[in-house]
Amino acid sequence: MAATRRLQKELNDIRQSGLKSFRDIQVDESNILTWQGLIVPDNAPYNKGAFRIEINFPAEYPFKPPKISFKTKIYHPNIDEKGQVCLPIISAENWKPATKTDQVIQALVALVNDPEPEHPLRAELAEEFLKDRKKFTKNAEEFTKKHSEKRPTD
Amino acid sequence: MTESITTLTAPISLSTYHQLSLTVESASIRNSGLFKPNPYLQLIIDDNISRRTEVLKNTLHPKWKEEFTVLVTPLSQLVFRLADHHSFRKDHIIGEKRINLLKILLYCNGKCENVELTLDLMKTVSQDNASNTNTEVKAAELVLLLDGLRIDPAILNQSHETLGESNNSRSPLSDGIRARIRLRNNLENQRSVVHLRNLRPPPGPPPLSNGTGLAGALDGGAGPSRQDEPPVSSAASAAAPVTTGAAAAPAAAAAAEEPLPSGWEMRYDVYGRRYYVDHNTRSTSWERPQPLPPGWEVRRDARGRVYYVDHNTRTTTWQRPDTERLARFQHWRGERRHVVAQGNQRFLYPPQPAPSPPTADHDPSAGGSGAGVAGAVGVAGVAGGAGVAGAAGAVGAGGAPDDALGALPAGWERRVHPDGRVYFVNHKNRTTQWEDPRTQGQEISALEEALPPGWEIRFTEEGTRYFVDHNTRTTTFQDPRPGAPKGPQGAYGVPRAYERSFRWKLSQFRYLCQSNALPSHIKITLSRQTLFEDSYHQIMRLPAYELRRRLYIIFRGEEGLDYGGVSREWFFLLSHEVLNPMYCLFEYANKNNYSLQINPASYVNPDHLLYFKFIGRFIAMALYHGRFIYSGFTMPFYKRMLNKKLTMKDIESIDPEFYNSLVWIKDNNIDECGLEMWFSVDFEVLGQVIHHELKPSGDKERVTEANKEQYLQLVTQWRMTRGIEEQTVAFLDGFNEVVPLEWLKYFDERELELMLCGMQEVDVDDWQRNTIYRHYTRTSKQVAWFWQFVRQMDNEKRARLLQFVTGTCRVPVGGFAELMGSNGPQRFCIEKVGKDTWLPRSHTCFNRLDLPPYKSYEQLCEKLNYAIEETEGFGQE
Repeated sequence: MAATRRLQKELNDIRQSGLKSFRDIQVDESNILTWQGLIVPDNAPYNKGAFRIEINFPAEYPFKPPKISFKTKIYHPNIDEKGQVCLPIISAENWKPATKTDQVIQALVALVNDPEPEHPLRAELAEEFLKDRKKFTKNAEEFTKKHSEKRPTD
Repeated sequence: MTESITTLTAPISLSTYHQLSLTVESASIRNSGLFKPNPYLQLIIDDNISRRTEVLKNTLHPKWKEEFTVLVTPLSQLVFRLADHHSFRKDHIIGEKRINLLKILLYCNGKCENVELTLDLMKTVSQDNASNTNTEVKAAELVLLLDGLRIDPAILNQSHETLGESNNSRSPLSDGIRARIRLRNNLENQRSVVHLRNLRPPPGPPPLSNGTGLAGALDGGAGPSRQDEPPVSSAASAAAPVTTGAAAAPAAAAAAEEPLPSGWEMRYDVYGRRYYVDHNTRSTSWERPQPLPPGWEVRRDARGRVYYVDHNTRTTTWQRPDTERLARFQHWRGERRHVVAQGNQRFLYPPQPAPSPPTADHDPSAGGSGAGVAGAVGVAGVAGGAGVAGAAGAVGAGGAPDDALGALPAGWERRVHPDGRVYFVNHKNRTTQWEDPRTQGQEISALEEALPPGWEIRFTEEGTRYFVDHNTRTTTFQDPRPGAPKGPQGAYGVPRAYERSFRWKLSQFRYLCQSNALPSHIKITLSRQTLFEDSYHQIMRLPAYELRRRLYIIFRGEEGLDYGGVSREWFFLLSHEVLNPMYCLFEYANKNNYSLQINPASYVNPDHLLYFKFIGRFIAMALYHGRFIYSGFTMPFYKRMLNKKLTMKDIESIDPEFYNSLVWIKDNNIDECGLEMWFSVDFEVLGQVIHHELKPSGDKERVTEANKEQYLQLVTQWRMTRGIEEQTVAFLDGFNEVVPLEWLKYFDERELELMLCGMQEVDVDDWQRNTIYRHYTRTSKQVAWFWQFVRQMDNEKRARLLQFVTGTCRVPVGGFAELMGSNGPQRFCIEKVGKDTWLPRSHTCFNRLDLPPYKSYEQLCEKLNYAIEETEGFGQE
């Protein structure tokens, strides 16, 4: 497969770099187009848990960008109930074939840590985030406690 | 839905004929004499056309159940006259009723489908001769069923206004007319029993042949061994036996997933991933199948192939229906009612005297200007006849000794007309022409001195030659070759030269068609329900050259002679039918606009190549007979028809994401980027990844800054042809049999679209209203100039401008407000970009025109003219 070599290399690079915020990367050797991993945010209210994501690469990668979805529920203005996330770096307008998956992941982690209420996918959460931060934080923490995965211990 | 077709003017819509199916069911007659009458019903449309039922003997309650298909306009007046038949004297009128169809239409909001009408038939009784007062008494009651007529309510409202009636609400029917919508069920059930037998497998379809899908998935996923087939999970086994009809899935609600449709099974591959096996079609899928929607059923044809029956629409398809496909199908069906209305709005040029052909030597008409009247059928017939007679009569004068040009291409023969003139026979497609195939297209440059590089010869609509210099993007009447005579120049140095030669080329093309026409006609008889298949069988049964005879199209069970209107409708309906998503033959290119491209997944239909050949023939017939089709193709597809080289820019209109990536690779130094690209590529069709090496051992050759030009070329080539090459070849084959592709070579792709789809009256007000601006405002002077420029153009030029910016000359049915871009609705947009020395550019996937801030109206006109007249080399950085 045309995308395989590129993805193999990216995967090795990411594993070697030992990212703290993206761990437990699982890739099915027979299908390197699908990755799973654990996002481990640093900022409150998400720093009490970890969130599983899936990255799907198209057969035409890197001509076309990957798609990311959250497998763990998360209370976040930029991530909707279905786990869809709107990430500019992998949007059709901004995508460049030289963009690497680790950049994409870092952009995602940054978005999780610092929500962007001005480009919300869930308008009601964005409004709460802007108008009543206390309430938002409380809800998000409870939600995280209830739904998120355990953070790796090391 | 009630959006009106804005350009339709009332007179057009009112005079448009529609079909109405009218069933005279029964009557009950008031007893008024000793004898029972022998009743029959006479139907008179617009005091002109009359139809009558058979005479029933001796009854007060006649039941006819006779169906008539009649042609009506929304304004038609229908008179129903019930009469008593006498063998020896004049028939006696029992009673009659005159109705305005419009009232009925307004009552049922334009939808005259299964409407039951009960009419009181009245009889005039003169009461008092002196005072001239006549009273009407009810003499009988008549029950009718109207069906199959649907008129856009917006048009109705227009006609309403023209009638000068002010009430805009649905006027209740009065005057002894009662209407109700009859429920379809009873009738339908009876019918469907009959029709179900006709539900053969669809035109073409079934799935992957003989388990290749299954085998493929096993190879790719689970590997060769079967031992790791996991035991079927309890959920799946519980679900599997559930029958298709079981929409009642709540039993499995606890399992959160609906049961699998019958014949499906869930399995796990070696990696523990779930996949689904469809034992019906012997294929596999990663995605969980959705149960069939209500009204659908799985069946098997005589060869054991699985297909799907939709009892809702009484159609069949090879593809398992899923939500998306159904949604697309619904959308497609929704278009149907616009199709014919659209057809009535398209036009090109009215037939008019054609200018004489380029040079006297090549003038194929014996009498010079005699054949010039391209539009006149009579002349065409004569010309055609002469051509054919000549072809048959002249005996092998081929191989004339004076051929300095070498041998003719294979399949060609040189002959001499009885009057001594040489002509050429193309045996491949049985056409004749005066032009020598070895020089055609180059007759000027080949016979004279060659033009300097980058120059091209074109013709104005008067047939005057001019020269395009692509190096400097200028045109001139002056021949650039040394020693050539100096010609006139227009104002601004150029504008006169912008008059392209489309009209002229078109008349040449028409001339070619007419001089190759065959006498007599061919009959094509179809039924509306099986339009696609009927058309397919009849068109493919005939030798291709026969399709050049005059067409005589008959819709079964409908009256009306084909003097052009019916065949116009047929071309329009069938071209829309081709798009039926259930056939999987064509798809819309990239969500945006409304252009078609071949669907790489068309191979699910085992006979797809035959269908493409058929469609090729059909499209050529449209050109040949000067008819329009509903939906056009993508610009790259037209370029392919014209055998033009496809460029990277062509990808933009069909796959902007892919295009952007290519541009990035082109514009950036890719060494050190870690792109890890090699001379090989992949794409996915129907869940399968198809790998392709761009050149021998491409898997082993890395793409670098040094060789990326070659890579981009190869990728471009591949992207434009991947998965559709066989289909394209089949299409072109079919096309070429009817219209030789070389006849098109003078046209560019935009002209080809115009020829096929026709022009539409463009509503500039609507266009302007629905245009947005970036870095300009509505009042910017460049914007004002732009609209001034647009308003001064003729329709052809407006079409060109639209093609330049939106990729097609066609405007959505709902007007400019419904213009689509690659990411959904996208209005026409004018953006201020660059400096006044730049040329305008366009982004067809965003319907955007980049208009530099020009300093004057004249400058704006000049630059825009350049941009829209040229098809290559603009906005193509």
